[in-house]
Amino acid sequence: MSVIPPSERLAVRLTVNGRPVEHAVEARRSLADFLREDLALTGTHVGCEHGVCGACTVMVDGRSARACLLFAAQLDGRDVITIEGLTPADGLSPLQECFRACHAMQCGFCTPGMIVTATELLAQDPAPSTEAIREAISGNLCMCTGYVNIVRAIAQAAARAGARA
Amino acid sequence: MSHRPVREGGWVGRPLPLKEDARLVAGRGRFVDDLGRPRMLHAAMLRSPHAHARIVSVDTRGAEALPGVFGILTGAEAVARSGPIRPLIPTTAVVPDYCLAVDRARYVGEPVAAVAAVDRATAEDALERIRVEYEPLPVVVDPEAALGADAPLLFPELGTNVVWHDTLTYGAVDEAMARADGVLRERFTIQRYASTPLETFGGIAEYDAGADTFEFWTNDQRPGLTISSLAASLGVPQSRVRLSCPDIGGGFGNKRRPAYLLVCALLARKTGRPVKWIEDRIENLTALMHACNGIMDVELAYRADGTLLALSIRDIADEGKNLVTPTQHNLIKLGNIANGYRIPAVRYEAWSVLTNKCPSGANRGIGKPFMCFAIERAMALLARRLELDPAELRLRNYVTAEQMPYTTPPGARYDSGDYPATLRRALERFGYAERRAEQAASRARDDGRWLGIGIATSVEPAGTNLASYEIVTGRRAASGSAEAAMVRVEPDGAVRVSLGDPPSGQGYETVLAQIVADELGLTPDAVTVTRGFDSATTPWLYLSGNYSNKFSVTDVGAVVGAAARVRDKLLRIAAHRLEAAVADLELSGGAVAVRGAPDRRIAFAELARTAYADVLGLPSGEQPGLEARQAYQNPLAEPMDGERRVRSQLVFSNAAHCCLVEVDRRTGLVKILEYLVVHDCGRELNPLIVEGMVHGATAHGIGAALLEEFRYDAQGQLLASTFMDYLKPTSVDVPLIEVDRLEHPSPVTPLGAKGVGEGGAIPGPAAVANAIEDALAHLGVVVRGLPITPEQIWRWTR
Amino acid sequence: MKPARFRYARPGTLAEAIALLAEAPGEAKILAGGQSLVPMLNMRLVRPAVLVDITRVRDLTGIAPAGDGGLRVGALTRHAELVVSPLVRERAPLLAEAARHVGHTAIRNQGTLGGSLAHADPAAELPAALLALDARLHASGPRGDRAVHAGEFFRGLLTTALESDEILSAVEIPAPPAGWSFTEIARRPGDFALAGVVVVLGSPLTPPSPPRGESLRVVGFGVGDRPLRLRSAERLLAGVTINADAAARAGAAVGSDCDPPSDVHGSADYRRHLATVLTERAVLQAAARLAGAP
Repeated sequence: MSVIPPSERLAVRLTVNGRPVEHAVEARRSLADFLREDLALTGTHVGCEHGVCGACTVMVDGRSARACLLFAAQLDGRDVITIEGLTPADGLSPLQECFRACHAMQCGFCTPGMIVTATELLAQDPAPSTEAIREAISGNLCMCTGYVNIVRAIAQAAARAGARA
Repeated sequence: MSHRPVREGGWVGRPLPLKEDARLVAGRGRFVDDLGRPRMLHAAMLRSPHAHARIVSVDTRGAEALPGVFGILTGAEAVARSGPIRPLIPTTAVVPDYCLAVDRARYVGEPVAAVAAVDRATAEDALERIRVEYEPLPVVVDPEAALGADAPLLFPELGTNVVWHDTLTYGAVDEAMARADGVLRERFTIQRYASTPLETFGGIAEYDAGADTFEFWTNDQRPGLTISSLAASLGVPQSRVRLSCPDIGGGFGNKRRPAYLLVCALLARKTGRPVKWIEDRIENLTALMHACNGIMDVELAYRADGTLLALSIRDIADEGKNLVTPTQHNLIKLGNIANGYRIPAVRYEAWSVLTNKCPSGANRGIGKPFMCFAIERAMALLARRLELDPAELRLRNYVTAEQMPYTTPPGARYDSGDYPATLRRALERFGYAERRAEQAASRARDDGRWLGIGIATSVEPAGTNLASYEIVTGRRAASGSAEAAMVRVEPDGAVRVSLGDPPSGQGYETVLAQIVADELGLTPDAVTVTRGFDSATTPWLYLSGNYSNKFSVTDVGAVVGAAARVRDKLLRIAAHRLEAAVADLELSGGAVAVRGAPDRRIAFAELARTAYADVLGLPSGEQPGLEARQAYQNPLAEPMDGERRVRSQLVFSNAAHCCLVEVDRRTGLVKILEYLVVHDCGRELNPLIVEGMVHGATAHGIGAALLEEFRYDAQGQLLASTFMDYLKPTSVDVPLIEVDRLEHPSPVTPLGAKGVGEGGAIPGPAAVANAIEDALAHLGVVVRGLPITPEQIWRWTR
Repeated sequence: MKPARFRYARPGTLAEAIALLAEAPGEAKILAGGQSLVPMLNMRLVRPAVLVDITRVRDLTGIAPAGDGGLRVGALTRHAELVVSPLVRERAPLLAEAARHVGHTAIRNQGTLGGSLAHADPAAELPAALLALDARLHASGPRGDRAVHAGEFFRGLLTTALESDEILSAVEIPAPPAGWSFTEIARRPGDFALAGVVVVLGSPLTPPSPPRGESLRVVGFGVGDRPLRLRSAERLLAGVTINADAAARAGAAVGSDCDPPSDVHGSADYRRHLATVLTERAVLQAAARLAGAP
C-alpha cells in the first residue's frame, strides 16, 4: 500500500451509472469535480462545497452522499449513481414526471440533488407523510420554489407508485 | 400597442407544465460552469482580509513561479490595461473604480489580484504565494457613523462617505403634520441579506487576438448593461464584444458584476487563452452583493378616524463599497413609498452612504421589502394606538378600484387592482375571525405557546424606468423600460422566438411559446424559444435584461409585437398565394386557411418556402424572409417632471399576506403554522409559473424575517460567510403556502398581465413580523428590525 | 474552494493506518466520513501533509453485543447505521436517537461515529450521548490499545485525549439505564445545536453483573467547550422523586455548570437559558421512559 504524493495521480476504478470507469485523479479531486469535469456528467451541481446546500447529492453504494465532501480517490470499487443514471434513456422516470407535472423546479439547479434525495426517501418510506417529506428534503436548499411544489411532487410520486403496486 | 384581450380558448392563461422542466429535471440544463472552451484556464481571486487598508505592495513572483500558472493580474495592471467600471447610476461622486483594488482595499473580500492556471486548485495554490503588504486603516461599518464628520473615509478625495443626500417633498407635509390628530413616529431597521441563488456567479472570457474581439459566456442577468460596461473598460467597440448567457440557476438581481468578467477578459488577453472563473460560495456570500441594510425614521400623520394625512421618511441606505449602483435602493423605495394607501403628502429624505462592507446590489424586491416593512409595521402600530382592527385601518386608507388610475405624490401610477377586495378575500380564506378565536382560546389555555396573526399588504411594481435616475444624477442618460424580441419562421416552417431577457427560472421558454402560439395559431410545442441570450443573434438593447419584474409589462410587448408582424406577413403571403383577401384568412394548426373553406389552406412550411427560397412568388413589394424584430417600450415610462415626480416603476400588482405563527414562550422558537397569499397580478399568463413565483418569493420574505443576516463585527469582518452561518430557509422553515388570486388585468400592458416575480418577498417580512408582534402584544413588544431570532424573542419575553 | 495538496493513503488494516500516522507525526489527518473534515480541507482551514483514508479498515467496523446488555461499536460505523441498527435500538436507544439528529440523511450516510467523536465539536450530539452512556472509547496506536472513559476523552474545543498517532477504533457502551431522553434545539433541522441536554436515569433494563446501582446523568452539549456533566442538576435530582417541580429546579440550577460560547447563532446567556429549559424537559421525558412510556 503506497502513499500517493500530491502531484501524482492515482488510479481509481469505480462504477458510475452502471458503467465501469477507470481514471487517474489527483488525490484532492472531489467526486463532484470528477463527475462533472472528468466524466462530463454535468447534471450534478456544485452550490457550496461545504456540504450544506445539497446540490451535489449523488448515490454512493445506494445511499445519498454529498459529492463535494468526497474525494474521487475514495470511490475506488464503489458504485455511484448520478441524476444521469436516474434518468431513463427515453423520457423521464415516474418521479421526474411528477416533478415536471407539479412544476417542482424553477431554475433547476437544486433539482438533480432533490431527485436523488427524493429517490432515497421513497425507497425507504414509500408512503411518506407531508412532514416526513419536508424533513427528508430539508438538507437540500432551493432558492426558487419555496419547496411547496417539490413536496407536492414527491407526494404525488408516492401516491402513484402506491397505486401501481 | 394597446391592451388586447387574451383570446378565448387560447394557450395564454393555461397552467401548462413547462417545456424546460423536462430537461432541468433530467440534469440536462446547461449552466455556465458546464461550459468550456479549448485550452481554457481557471482563475482564482486573491481577496483582501482587511475591511479597510492601504495596499502598499503586491509581489506576485512566488505565484508566477508555480508550475501550472499562466497569468496573474494585479490592480496596477488593471489600471494600465483597462478603463474604470462604468456606473449604472452615476452620482456626483465620481471616483475611478477598477476591476481590482488598486491603492486601497475597502471591504473584506475585495479582489486584489487574480491568477489564471491549469485548474482552480492550482490557481488557489498560487494565491497563497502572492505577498501583499497591507497597512490597515480605520474601519467604518455603521451607516450612521459613516455619515459623521469624523468618519473614516472610503474615498478621501470625495471628502465624505455620502454618495447622495437629498430631500424630496411632494405636497404640504408640514402643514398636514401640524393639523393632524396625531403623528406616529418610529425607527425601523433592516439587516443585510441577499437572495443567494443556488448557482453562483461566474463566466468565461475569451480573447481573439487576430480579430481583437472579446467573447463572454456568463450568467450575468443584465447583458445590455454589462456589454456596455465591458466594452468601455476594455477599450473596444461593442461590435467586437459578444456575450452569451446559458441557463441561469437563479438570479433575483444578484448576478451582475462586470468587474469580475473584466478580470477574466484581461487574463484572457494576457495569457492568450480563455479564462473561466466561477465564484465559490464563500466568495459569493462575502463579496458579490448584499441588499442594503438601513435605518428608516418614519413619521405618519393621521386623523383620529385613522385616515392617513402625510408621511415623512428619513432613510439611510448602507451601500457598502458600491460605486456602480448606489441610490438604487433609495429610488425604488421612493417609488413604492405609499404602498397602496392614499397619502396626500409625502416627504423622503435619503442618504446613500458608503461603508467598509460588501457592495450593495439588486436583490429580490430591491428596497421594497424594507419600505413595505416600515409602512406595514407603522400601520400595525397605528391600529393598536387607535384601537382599530389592523385590517379595518388598511381598508379605510386603500386606493380603491374606482380611484384607479391613481398617482401617488412621488409619481407612481397605480393602474389597476382592488386592494380592499384583495384583503377581504385574504381574511376570508384565512379564516381571520376563527383564527382570532383560536388565539383567544390558546391564551386561555396558557400552555406556553402563543399564537400570533400577522397581516401585511403591498403593491408590487413591475418594470423600472431608468429616467428615474435623474432624481439622483441631475440629468437624463438612460431612460424608459424597453426590451427587444424576435420571432422567426424558419425556412422549413418551424417557429423560433428570441428575447433579450435571459431567464433565470421564470419559465420564459414556455410562456413565450404560449404567447406566440396564440398569435400564430400553433401549439406551444411547435414554438421553440431560444435558450438564454447571445448578443450576436438575440435582439437586445442597453435596457435588455432580467430585472425589475419587467417581463409581463415590457418583454411581452416586444414578443407580441414581433409575433403580430410575422403573423401579418404570413397572412399577406398566404393571401397572395391563395388569391384571397387577408380579412378572410385565419391561422390555425400551423397553416393559413380561408375561413369556412378549410381545403384552401397553405402550411407555414410552404409559406416559408416562398419567403426564403422561391422569392419570385412573393407579393410585389414584399421582402424575402419571415422574421420580425420588435423593440417595445412601456408607454408609461416618462421623464421626470419639474417637480421631480417620475414613474420609477410602471405597472402595479398587489397582494395580501396573512400568517399564523406559534411562538414557544420559553425558547423563543417560531413556527409558521399557516401562510396565505391572495395576490393579483392581472392576467396570469401561466398560472403554474405564477403560483411558483408566489411560493418562492414568499419564502424569501420568510428567510429575511427569521433567519438571514450578514452580520459584521466592528473590524468589518463578516461573521456569516458560509451556509453554516448564513441561514437559508429549508423545507421545514417554509410552510405549505396557500395561494389564491384575484385578476384585475392591467389596461396598459399588451396582454393585461402584471408583475409577479418579486411579490411575496415584499410584504413577507412584514407579515411575519406583524404576526410575531401580535403573539407578544400582551407584553407590549414592538418589532422594529429584522431578523427576529428566537433569542430576540426570549429577550423580549423574559 | 479546493483543498491544499496532500499525500493520500488508503490502508487496509489498522496496523497500516497506525504506521502511516507514525511516519508523519503531527502532519497526518484521518479521513473517515469526511463530513466535518472535508469542509475544513476545502476552506484550507486545515492542511495536512497526509490524508489517511481509513474507510477500508474492516477492523473498525461492526456492531456487536458486549458485556451484560452492552454494545461494542466500531469507529467506522456510520450515523445512519446507528439509527436503524436493531442492536443499537435495543441496547442503546439513546445513541440511535442522538444519531438521528445529526445533520441530514446524506451526512448520516457518510459520517462516522469515530469521526464525530474524534472531531469533538462541543455542539455535536454523539459525544454528549456517549458521556451520558458512560462509554469507554478505545484508542489504538503504536503503543498499543487503551480505553479512555468518555468523561476523560473530551478535553476541550475540538480537542480529545487521542494522541496524534492514535486512532479511535471502537466504543464500548455498558447496558444503559432504562430511563433516557435526548433533547436539542437548533435554528433549523440538522443544524448544530444551540444547546442540547441528554439525561439517563434509573437502572439498566438488563441487570448487569456485578450489579450496579441507579444512575443519574445529565449531560449538556453546545453549552461549553465539550459535553458537560450538569452536576448541579444531578445533585438536585439524586434520590428525589422526579416531578415537574424537581425538574424545574434542576433546570434552574444548570446555568452555573455551563460556559457556552457566543456567536452569530446565539449568545452565551441564551444558550444557558436553553440549557435550563431543555434540562427540565429532558428530565421529565427520561422519568416518563423509566416509568414505561415509549
